[in-house]
Amino acid sequence: MIMNAAPQQLILAIFFLSVVFLHIAKKNSGAAVLYGIQSAAIVLLLLFSFFETGDPGALLIAFLALLVKVILAPVFIFRLTKMHRLKFVVSAYLNTPLTLLIVAGLTAAAHSQVFGPLANIVPANQPLLALSLAALFISLFLIVNRKGALSQIIGVLSLENSIVAFAIFAGLEQSPGLQFGVMFDIFAWLVIATVFISMMYRHFGSLDVTELKHLKD
Amino acid sequence: MELALIFAAVFAATLVCLLVKNRTAIEYASVAAAILAFAASVVIAIKVSASGTYVPTGLFSIDALGAIIALIIGIVSLAVSFYSVSYLRRETEKGIVGLGRVRQFFILLNLFIGAMFLAVASSNPILTWISIEATTLSTAFLISFYDKPSSMEAAWKYLIINSIGLLLGFFGTILYFTPLGTGAAAGLTTWNVLLRSAALLDPTVAKIAFVFVLIGYGTKVGLAPMHTWLPDAHSKAPVPVSALLSGVLLNVALIAVLRFRAVTDLAVGPEFSRGLLIAFGILSVFVAVFMILGQKNYKRLLAYSSIENMGLMSLGFGFGGIGAFGAILHMIYHSLVKSALFLAAGTIFLRYSSTKIEKVKGALTALPVTGVLFLIGFFAITGTPPFGIFLTKIMILSAGVKAHPLIVVLILALTAVLFVGFFGHVVAMMFGEKTRAADEVATPGGERGGAWLIAPPLALLAVALALSFYIPPFLERLVAVVASNY
Repeated sequence: MIMNAAPQQLILAIFFLSVVFLHIAKKNSGAAVLYGIQSAAIVLLLLFSFFETGDPGALLIAFLALLVKVILAPVFIFRLTKMHRLKFVVSAYLNTPLTLLIVAGLTAAAHSQVFGPLANIVPANQPLLALSLAALFISLFLIVNRKGALSQIIGVLSLENSIVAFAIFAGLEQSPGLQFGVMFDIFAWLVIATVFISMMYRHFGSLDVTELKHLKD
Repeated sequence: MELALIFAAVFAATLVCLLVKNRTAIEYASVAAAILAFAASVVIAIKVSASGTYVPTGLFSIDALGAIIALIIGIVSLAVSFYSVSYLRRETEKGIVGLGRVRQFFILLNLFIGAMFLAVASSNPILTWISIEATTLSTAFLISFYDKPSSMEAAWKYLIINSIGLLLGFFGTILYFTPLGTGAAAGLTTWNVLLRSAALLDPTVAKIAFVFVLIGYGTKVGLAPMHTWLPDAHSKAPVPVSALLSGVLLNVALIAVLRFRAVTDLAVGPEFSRGLLIAFGILSVFVAVFMILGQKNYKRLLAYSSIENMGLMSLGFGFGGIGAFGAILHMIYHSLVKSALFLAAGTIFLRYSSTKIEKVKGALTALPVTGVLFLIGFFAITGTPPFGIFLTKIMILSAGVKAHPLIVVLILALTAVLFVGFFGHVVAMMFGEKTRAADEVATPGGERGGAWLIAPPLALLAVALALSFYIPPFLERLVAVVASNY
């Protein structure tokens, strides 16, 4: 699947920027919107995939992604922030300049020769695959760098989106049946994670994971 | 037919737990499902031993490795189901859990068991991934079952760390589909298709993919340094769940690593995966040994012992040859013995109401049968003759002695240190004056009234001991096939 057309490049650029801005977002509502934007980008990429293949299964997956990632996930996050008055993101381990430096380093690493073979899986999509890989690394860094459980959830979901973007540009999309299975898993994960967030808040009165200190023995 | 029976039994039991509010019906349904699943897994193993693979439909296929792990799931689930009935009844008597919690427990337990069977039986790598992810989702609430801050914390760590690991594993998984070409992955790609297309896989992509798979699924296996969730989750979950997590789930994740390893070896040769498996194996044994030495909690002690044993298996598969043969046998013995140890630990917990080693004294006096079982389990898990783990450790280490003598010496020294450290903790728990807690906190009926608290760990240890002297021909054939393939 060769996707070097301008619209796909623009969509991926928006996706990548949304991942970077997740590191800068100070409010949970902002992070939820950014996640919604990056998921919408994924839905558009899936739609392009449908237009190229004409497979109705691909359209169904795009619709499911829209439902789960663009609508339900941000709604869940908004409800949680409202329910527990979690307006602001719990802080990160590193300050913003250092975080952005590492984000730049990770982007450079994704474009380096080490990961060159991955970016060259489909040579025509080399820059897009490298950018998807960079988004994957940056999402992983988001989970590690943030102290808030809600940010960690968004990081995990963003990591999954990055893998989907990579799979689309590398032509590694699975059959609609399997994609449906993966989507169901993501949905179940989302529900469970949001339930856990509420339970954590009830126990600790905070979503700061540095407050979790009951397992020292 | 047999696989359909397993899924139907587990599904029916889940449905009963969901719809019926009668405790006895829930217990009977779950135990009956476990009995049926065990019987079916034995039949599947015999069939695979005779014909090489068991292929009920295109979506499912069980090879020798899958048959062995299905057998492990079957037997440990059976013991755990019986034990759970008595264990949860005792917890209800103590006012710890009510009927609602018991229903929740059995629903999630049945889903967990079903997901593990699905993982070993699926012929497609993505379906395997979905199933392993499903084990994470079904067990997260089991780990937070007691709804305490510590169990909540353990469950959160488990959920997040394993989800990240599995997503990295998923990324590695899709990289293996690259030689199939654009759009080819849209069909149902089986493990065999991946093996056949391995020669077309770009060697560097294969290496990167295996690193992602090893780190991803290795997180679920509990290999160091990705192991940090394991001691917390295994120590905070209800004991029957800990037995399944430690004795079975780690092997289910290992199956994915081994299958991708076979593909990688065809693409780049065996040296790359060997080196990684040996490195992760050494690190796991090293970390586990030193954590066991200073351990204060006997459930965490057992959890770290699992990390050590998964490290040994990783070493065995890394060394190859007789090492792989030893590793697969080690997997069987470890599953049986570790599950028995966790179940015995559960009975100790019921009596002492604490998982702290310092609070458990004179267990041999307070719980004579369980105490002896725990002691036997300790000797079995540390590889004392005549238990099979003694032999499997020798097999694993002898496989590496020629090519990696220093590693073998290091592992020998570490296991010796582990024995001494572990023994110190066990002696402290088993002997001495009974603590006040053992007298004051009454376990209604004690061991006399709790045959189902004793029989499951006893049966698991008896099977482990019997298999140390005699391995049935069908099982021996399966082990030999796995050793030759991995």
